Amino acid sequence: MSTVSWITARGLFGRRRFLMLFPLPVVLVLLAVLSRSLGVDPGQWGPPVLVGLGLAVVLPVVALIVGTGVLGAEIDDGTVVHILTKPLPRWQIVLPKLAVATGVTAVTVAVPLYVAGVLAHSVRLGLALALAGCLGALAYSALFLALSLLTRRPVLLGLVYVLIWEGLLGNFVSGTKVLSIQQYVIALADRLAPTSLLETSVSVPVAAVMTALVSVGFTVLAIDRLRSFSVAGETS
Amino acid sequence: MSEPTGVIHDIGYQRYTGPRLGRRHVFGALYLHGLRTAFGLGRSAKAKIFPWLVIGIVTLVAAGVTAVRSQLGEVVMTYAQFADNMSWLVIFFVAVVAPELVSRDLHSGVLPLYFSRPLPRGDYALAKLAALGSALWLLLGAPQLVMFLGAAFTTKDGMSGVWDELLDLLPGLLYAALWAVVFASVGLLIASLTGKRAFAAGGVVAVFLMTAPIVGILSIMPSRTVNELAMLGSPTALVHAVGQYTLGDLLVPGGQTGNQLGGFGPLYVAVAVLLVAACVALLFARYRKVAAR
Repeated sequence: MSTVSWITARGLFGRRRFLMLFPLPVVLVLLAVLSRSLGVDPGQWGPPVLVGLGLAVVLPVVALIVGTGVLGAEIDDGTVVHILTKPLPRWQIVLPKLAVATGVTAVTVAVPLYVAGVLAHSVRLGLALALAGCLGALAYSALFLALSLLTRRPVLLGLVYVLIWEGLLGNFVSGTKVLSIQQYVIALADRLAPTSLLETSVSVPVAAVMTALVSVGFTVLAIDRLRSFSVAGETS
Repeated sequence: MSEPTGVIHDIGYQRYTGPRLGRRHVFGALYLHGLRTAFGLGRSAKAKIFPWLVIGIVTLVAAGVTAVRSQLGEVVMTYAQFADNMSWLVIFFVAVVAPELVSRDLHSGVLPLYFSRPLPRGDYALAKLAALGSALWLLLGAPQLVMFLGAAFTTKDGMSGVWDELLDLLPGLLYAALWAVVFASVGLLIASLTGKRAFAAGGVVAVFLMTAPIVGILSIMPSRTVNELAMLGSPTALVHAVGQYTLGDLLVPGGQTGNQLGGFGPLYVAVAVLLVAACVALLFARYRKVAAR
């Protein structure tokens, strides 16, 4: 474990505000357990819990807070200078940070998704959701990490993507679904464990290729942006 | 030995002897500043991007609805329904504005400067709350006014048609005010917990979005009472339920009200009032603690 990833992990876990993340997965598990124990039909509670809450809210929001936090918080504080002035290639800064962000997001999201998937249908669905959630965590983290280098307001721009692009437009304009990480995750999970609970219009090859493309592309972009990064003051 | 020849010059420093404006004016200035901050007025172009993006979208939707109605004569959404359909944008707007209003002051540690004025702790919180509330009300009310103007100028019933429209518009504006009060108090409370704008924005969105699916789950539970109480689960649904109870078919055309709420309408109103009161009380408590530091 490199020093950069160590610092990043400590920066994430060392503060009390990190506890803010925990209610999200807990609510997901609680709702799944509650629905299961009361004997509601999984066909009814599955989609709102697994997709509506798990893949559409918990995954992107956790990825957003963590993904912009690993680098964005340091840029905001100005402490990023301490890392930038070390004789490290830029990829050795970006990749460990991306790994930490992906790891934290994946653990926070995959565990409750696995539990909810098992309760809703089968162990296979649980594993599929967890695996697809991990891939989604990678793609989202790469996107939000790159955003925190492209703009001084990564969280708000990330929210525009999650709320307006995926949430609002995804409901009305089906064309935007082709460019939505959420839909890729659903498609991949549905391919790994075909059930009637998950539905998407994106085909599996498109989802797989696009997930890989998003992950690699935004990571390369982030490394490139960090090469010519200029430290600026507080946003007005 | 010569005598010291230095002279202390009088360079004209004076005490301020004019009238001091006092608490009401401090409150007013803070409120106005907050309202301008909400829309990024008096600040750089970058601060205007996100608020005006949201305003642009809602105005566009209102213009579209008006155009459809005047051309095809089809009512896409009523004035009251407009607020409901814009709920995601309202959440986003709160996530943009609430951290700007309170988290910046916490982050840069200027609160002692504010509180060294004749400004009680509660007034600061109340002024920010009022600013956010008014901004939200303007955000939801202005597009409704656009819709009203469109409908009023194309009405075929003369003055009585305009009057009917006005009677439809007023409950819509009141409903928008309910949205504004509930969302402002909840959003500002969350944002005041952290000095990091990024975390505040994430927290606001997380709370509002997380609670929405709870309503969905509760409404398919096998108990009728739980179903009827499901809308207590999230602020968005709570506001909608209060609107359904008080406005009736202005919000849900087709007279299907009552089925969803059962006899719990008054309870919803009480819970909404309690929610706002609790949020404001917690906000005051928060600022008592911050000010004591």
